[in-house]
Amino acid sequence: MSQERYLDHEAKTVVIVMTSGPATRGRCATPFYLGALLASMDAQVTIFFTMDGVRLVQNGVAESLTAMEGGKTIIEFMRDAKAAGVKFHACRPALPGYDIEPVDLIAEVDEVSSGGVLADMILSCDKVLFF
Amino acid sequence: MSVCHGCEVRPELYYDAEFQIWARVEPDGAVSIGMTDLSQTRAGKIMHVRVRRPGSLRPRGKPVATVETGKWAGPVPNPFDCVIESANDAVLDDPLRINRDPYAEWIARVRPSAPLEQALAGLLTGAAAEAGFCERCRADRLECKRA
Repeated sequence: MSQERYLDHEAKTVVIVMTSGPATRGRCATPFYLGALLASMDAQVTIFFTMDGVRLVQNGVAESLTAMEGGKTIIEFMRDAKAAGVKFHACRPALPGYDIEPVDLIAEVDEVSSGGVLADMILSCDKVLFF
Repeated sequence: MSVCHGCEVRPELYYDAEFQIWARVEPDGAVSIGMTDLSQTRAGKIMHVRVRRPGSLRPRGKPVATVETGKWAGPVPNPFDCVIESANDAVLDDPLRINRDPYAEWIARVRPSAPLEQALAGLLTGAAAEAGFCERCRADRLECKRA
């Protein structure tokens, strides 16, 4: 599909469920790039971190993680997404499984939310993406 | 024109508080919007630029355009309520023009909804813009690079 020269989208809501984390670092940059791009195209974007994804919002993890050797750090991709207007939710039920306390989360996290919040978002948004 | 940390700033233009964009008033009262030297450096080699369709009403803070590089995607934010009048076709065809000369290459031309003076009131210009820009360069520890 060729790319349109002009942006003409209606405002949409998009939820990106981020299950990937340091165990699969190669999957950890693109979701934030895509989130930033969607937010720049007027979408209201939320990234919900769960499963191994919650390790990305633990202090000190994304700062030293890259998707590729010598590449831009994941925290930089995350901050680009935040600067574009993306909201970050961390999954409360996933935190204990990784020995993470809510106080250990990076400042970029907007909310620590239950699985029910994610379920509500999935049922009410326009698009859901899983990474 | 002055230079801080290798980054050029032009005091005759208007800037947002983050120095992401510059604005220039055209003779017909339209306003051209482009990326600053800081923004183009932070973005890297620009691969795609897309502008909101001409005629679109854009509230303050909503993007007038999106920019994509290999490692960065983000908005060109809109500093005031406006209607998009046109896009710079030369930039859409060859986005690297922004990396080569960010102040020569406007991205979108817009018409402010409010009177011009009111629309520009929240932006920085002149000596205040120069000082703020240099402070931003120092804070971000960024050395500007051109393509």
